[in-house]
Amino acid sequence: MSENSAPLIIGFLCNWCSYAGADMAGTSRAAYPSNIRILRVPCSGRVDPMMIVKCFQEGADAVLVAGCHPGDCHYNEGNYYGRRRFALLRELLDFMGVERERFRVEWVSASEGKRFAKIVTDFTNEMTKMGPRKAS
Amino acid sequence: MASDFTQQIREKARELLEDGTVECVIGYETGSDGISARPAFIYNAADVERLVFDNTCTHNLVKYLLNKKAKSTAVVVKGCDSRALNLLLSERQIERDKAFVVGVVCPGIVESRWNERSEQLQKRCDWCRQHTPVVSDFMVGDPVTEQPPADFADVAEEEAKTAEERAAFWQQQAERCIRCYACRQACPGCYCTDCFAESLDPEWVGIRIAPAESQMWNTIRAFHLAGRCISCNECERVCPVNLPLSLLNRKLEQKVLELFDYRAGMSEDAPAPLITFKKDEKLGIAE
Amino acid sequence: MTKTLSKNELESWLGNILKERTLVAPRCVDDLTLFLPVASVDEIAFDCGNTDLSPKDWFFPRTEALFTAEHKDADIEITPAVIEQETVIFGIRPCDAKGIAILDGPYLADPADSLWAQHRAKTTMIGLSCSSPAPQCFCTSMGGAPFDSSSVDILLTEVNDGYIVDAVTEKGEKLLQGVELKESDVSGSVPSCDTQVPAEGITEAVKRAFDDPYWGRLADRCLHCNICAYVCPTCYCFDIRDRTEGGKIERLRTWESCQSKGFTKIAGGHDPRVDKGSRLRQRFCHKLLYFPEQFGPLGCVGCGRCVVSCPVNIDIREIISDVQELGAKVGEGSS
Repeated sequence: MSENSAPLIIGFLCNWCSYAGADMAGTSRAAYPSNIRILRVPCSGRVDPMMIVKCFQEGADAVLVAGCHPGDCHYNEGNYYGRRRFALLRELLDFMGVERERFRVEWVSASEGKRFAKIVTDFTNEMTKMGPRKAS
Repeated sequence: MASDFTQQIREKARELLEDGTVECVIGYETGSDGISARPAFIYNAADVERLVFDNTCTHNLVKYLLNKKAKSTAVVVKGCDSRALNLLLSERQIERDKAFVVGVVCPGIVESRWNERSEQLQKRCDWCRQHTPVVSDFMVGDPVTEQPPADFADVAEEEAKTAEERAAFWQQQAERCIRCYACRQACPGCYCTDCFAESLDPEWVGIRIAPAESQMWNTIRAFHLAGRCISCNECERVCPVNLPLSLLNRKLEQKVLELFDYRAGMSEDAPAPLITFKKDEKLGIAE
Repeated sequence: MTKTLSKNELESWLGNILKERTLVAPRCVDDLTLFLPVASVDEIAFDCGNTDLSPKDWFFPRTEALFTAEHKDADIEITPAVIEQETVIFGIRPCDAKGIAILDGPYLADPADSLWAQHRAKTTMIGLSCSSPAPQCFCTSMGGAPFDSSSVDILLTEVNDGYIVDAVTEKGEKLLQGVELKESDVSGSVPSCDTQVPAEGITEAVKRAFDDPYWGRLADRCLHCNICAYVCPTCYCFDIRDRTEGGKIERLRTWESCQSKGFTKIAGGHDPRVDKGSRLRQRFCHKLLYFPEQFGPLGCVGCGRCVVSCPVNIDIREIISDVQELGAKVGEGSS
């Protein structure tokens, strides 16, 4: 990664809550670092663990998955399934040397623009402190 | 004991083939080295004398039922293998009434390679808590009382390393992998008609036989077995470059046990942890 | 009279070689023995038997770029791969060397494979006679021998206090230039490979047994992994795919195997070898029938790696015997 883009964070945001939350951050002029590259997905439950592993394999320093709060999923239960998968995936990644801090899951609603900005800011700061990943 | 087991398996196989209960008996026979077992497919009662059972019968024969879906087949299973039956039954990959299960109370399986046979029990036997098959239509041997839960000392040892050391360790392993997919081919839980590894669009794993691709393969292979691995450890046994694949499977097994109190393949009815959820569970995710 | 070299002299010669060229030799890495580049002579495993993987990686790498392509202004610039590095492989066994040599058949037939030709030209093979063939070895049955010098550039044969040196090719002699060899009248003991496999006439027998249900029954047991093909010194099938990174395209060739599902799948989705029996039969037909028909020698050199590595004991020696029997039966029936 080039110096000015480090750390590179990939963000998977659910269409119904978190992406709208990021939008809200924009319209309410809440600034956050541009290190995050956002991908809009229909639901946090759609985020296949393979996508996350692939991000790390292709050089991402960190991955954020954000979805509707439990109970608020547009598809009723997508984030519940996702939650289980992410819990196990984070353990496996950590076991293989991708520190657990580098993979974060957050629930962000459409009205939480400021909170989204804070999450990304904090995450970026933490990743800057941790430095780039050591091995691929 | 081994010769007694062999005798019982032969007699049952003869009976099943003679009365037409099954078309084929999948068991073990002596391999070309004369000292270790290999899978055997017996179609005629006249051939049952080929069947043997001893402590080199390492293969998980349940894998082969996936090729025999439409026919009634008898299969010899050890305790760990039998859990694969429940896995495949719960995932609707095999039909219970097409499989006649000859369960063997497992005496423990030793390390063996072609023309090499040690008296050292395999690692999986140290971890094993299921010597008596959980599914069977006919049992060979007397059911035993199972040991209390095994600890995960191997996983803990790996976790004592720093993240950097762990990354380096798996990088080293990935450098050895030749992507022969023997781990997948031997695994009873790996039965997708189209495996992600061969998908071209999206190309989840590139074509190179190189560390990055191997690591992607090994990570996802393990994850696709999260909550499904039944600990037969065939993946690790068949690996021609001796990758410590059990470590990945066991890490996930440990976590699945801890978070969901679940052991794969113990019953046909309990849903695997990743195809269900509880609304108010705490998993350490976004809390 | 033969020429000899002491162990010390051999080591200092190899030490000199690795100053100028890549020296590849058997090395023990954890619990495996593999042909790998060595940084110092100490790393060489002199006493190992057959390595776990064959040395074909050094002629037909598991992954190799055929060319790279890049946008240059309005054009596309294509750069073919060029092998520049001179490599010396030390400790290659006669069976493995023969495995490489017979692949000149398919790879150098017109149109010659440029990368194979380059690897062959840039690589010198210092062979090591097999003083103690392993139980899985059967090279003599496949037309080889533990002390066969026909496919190496130099053959070393271990004797009491050193090695008998036999410079076989010009390339070998060149590599030996400046090395002082002693004249001696020692002779190496001639080891033999005990396992005999009835390979004579196997080509005809395979042809006759082609339609036998035998292959389907054998495939019952086969897991259809690629181990046998990847450990084999003579399996040379590959896959090709393009890979892009940062606007650059590489056309990559990697190992592939007739055992993997979809190997023969063609556009439109049809697969002529969809059942497992025909896939397994292909492996043996290629080695024992098609290869000799097209190029002369049998496509198996008897190194025994597949025998040891197969997780379900698909044993080519057993198959050769079985097929001979089947072929004879079919022969009787038709006459």
